[in-house]
Amino acid sequence: MAPTGSSWICALTTSLVLLGGCAGNGDGLDANGRPLLPGGNAEGPLTADFASIQAHVFTPVCTVCHAGASAPQGLRLDATNSYSLLIGVPSTEVPSILRVKPGDPDNSYLIQKLEGHASVGARMPFGGPYLDQATIDVIRQWITDGAMPAAMGTGARFAALAVTPAMQDIEVEAPPRIVVGFNQELDQTRIDASSIRLERLDRGTDMPNAIVPVALTVPSGNPRAILVTPAQTLADGLYRVTVAGPPETGITSLSGERLGATAAAPVVLTEFRIAKTP
Amino acid sequence: MITIRIAPAVVVFACLVGAPMVAHGEPYLAVQNGYKCVACHVNPTGGGLRSDFGIAFAEHLMAAASLPKDVPAWTGRFGDFLRVGADLRASWTRTDIPRNSAQQSFDLDQIRLYANAQIVPDRVALYVDEQLAPGNASAAEAYVRLTNPGGGWILKGGRFYLPFGWRLQDQTAFVREASGVSMTTPDTGVELGLERERWSAQLDLTNGAANAGTGTGHQITGQIVRVEQRYRVGAAIAATQSQAGNRRVGGLFAGIRTGAIAWLGEADFIRDAGFAGGARSMVAGLGEADWMIRRGHNLKITAEYEDPDRAVAENQQTRWSVVYEMTPIPFVQLRFGFRRYVGIPQSTLQNRRVLFLELHGFM
Repeated sequence: MAPTGSSWICALTTSLVLLGGCAGNGDGLDANGRPLLPGGNAEGPLTADFASIQAHVFTPVCTVCHAGASAPQGLRLDATNSYSLLIGVPSTEVPSILRVKPGDPDNSYLIQKLEGHASVGARMPFGGPYLDQATIDVIRQWITDGAMPAAMGTGARFAALAVTPAMQDIEVEAPPRIVVGFNQELDQTRIDASSIRLERLDRGTDMPNAIVPVALTVPSGNPRAILVTPAQTLADGLYRVTVAGPPETGITSLSGERLGATAAAPVVLTEFRIAKTP
Repeated sequence: MITIRIAPAVVVFACLVGAPMVAHGEPYLAVQNGYKCVACHVNPTGGGLRSDFGIAFAEHLMAAASLPKDVPAWTGRFGDFLRVGADLRASWTRTDIPRNSAQQSFDLDQIRLYANAQIVPDRVALYVDEQLAPGNASAAEAYVRLTNPGGGWILKGGRFYLPFGWRLQDQTAFVREASGVSMTTPDTGVELGLERERWSAQLDLTNGAANAGTGTGHQITGQIVRVEQRYRVGAAIAATQSQAGNRRVGGLFAGIRTGAIAWLGEADFIRDAGFAGGARSMVAGLGEADWMIRRGHNLKITAEYEDPDRAVAENQQTRWSVVYEMTPIPFVQLRFGFRRYVGIPQSTLQNRRVLFLELHGFM
């Protein structure tokens, strides 16, 4: 006897019930569906640091697709790979734009994709739900603060990890600020106007011929970065950013380690050129 | 343990393939009518620009009401050499995530223009699928297609969508996300295809989505489908070599019609060595029933399953969807649907609910 319509409906219902009963109960797993490890869960509210963004956004939301050997655009956003594949890496859809440009969220492709105004492709996360603006603003803040990596282990020697503009960069617009990121928290009480120097170099000799007055600030929420804001718009030319050596104040970590402590000479953080006209 | 975990996908697949059996551009239309993809689409692997028959089907057989006889209908033809088409999708979506405020928005999901230029009729063609929104214009597909009319051989070179399983309209389906092959991930390379009366097969050599911009690695994708009037079965494989690690995907899919209902199933099995913590084995399954209540009215019920790592217990996710599709007049479709995600309780995203209304215009 030929199956009736109701028998097919029964078959469908049975299949759906079988499938519907298959969701995991999550025992022993963190919020991302991975086995619980000490410190493995996203704890506390989202804050403007990489570890927090990874735990609250990249891992639970983005790695649904952006993980493994089929990650779209080769962008793997798991905790092991995300930082190295985001910071300073040209996007594959618009190679002229970096995925994350430290200090410049508006020109970071990550932000453009999350806010839905990238010049190519769909808004992310694909198909939604999209991140609310408050969450995106935290990611923006992290980028503005220099897009620093997660805090390093206590054994790491105090060092500058990233500077924007980076060494040998050529900027077609004067950067409103220079962002310097460190691997340890800074002792903010020991930072003053002489801690970091911005110099304009002579075109022919590459020797300093002018000191540009700057304001130094440690962004709220990221005690591992310094924003160096020139007092005036930088003109075309070659610039060098240095940390003063002894006996000047220099930069010191919260644990008391001084940057370049053994060198009397200044520590060069970056040299970049501004060329508004080619 | 492993047997228990893959059982649901296998059960649904077995039900769909083994049940005695039963059909509109979604694959269920092809199943309901016993057509191959190439019957309605210029692209032999389906999707995109519609053929003469596809346009005629949309005009006369798909909608609840036909156009008045004195209204000139769209043909898509510009002379003997050029055919064009388009898709536009706009939607309203509301997403409810536990312990979060609901999100809702109107979106212009997609505007696509298609063109197929017959440079040498039935032998050489140039195909472009230009996405105008979202974002600026970009070529989702752009390839040259060489056809051997007598032998059924087709060679594509350029950028195109890969053949793997059901080419669903919903790109967020678990099987599309887990397999990594969908209409969000066009790839660049070459494809050799063979179209015979009841068989369709493709073999692709491409960069691989994960290798974009790296200049290394490749992907090999293959698919074979047997199409009968009442059913079809297919198998697909994909092997990716990338800096991240190697990935192997195998998929089985089938469709059958029983009266007014078209049933679709797919089960994908993935082994991915690209994860930092070590290789993962994954399973994704889809079961779909499309009930053509009457012409122009389709009720789609979908149940999906995904195990994102078979080595981890109790992490499986499911998704249920009920979508009502109404095509009141030719070339215009309204879709109203509800999706329910069910996952581990500690993840709010895995337990969201989505309500949507979509307007789809096509030509």
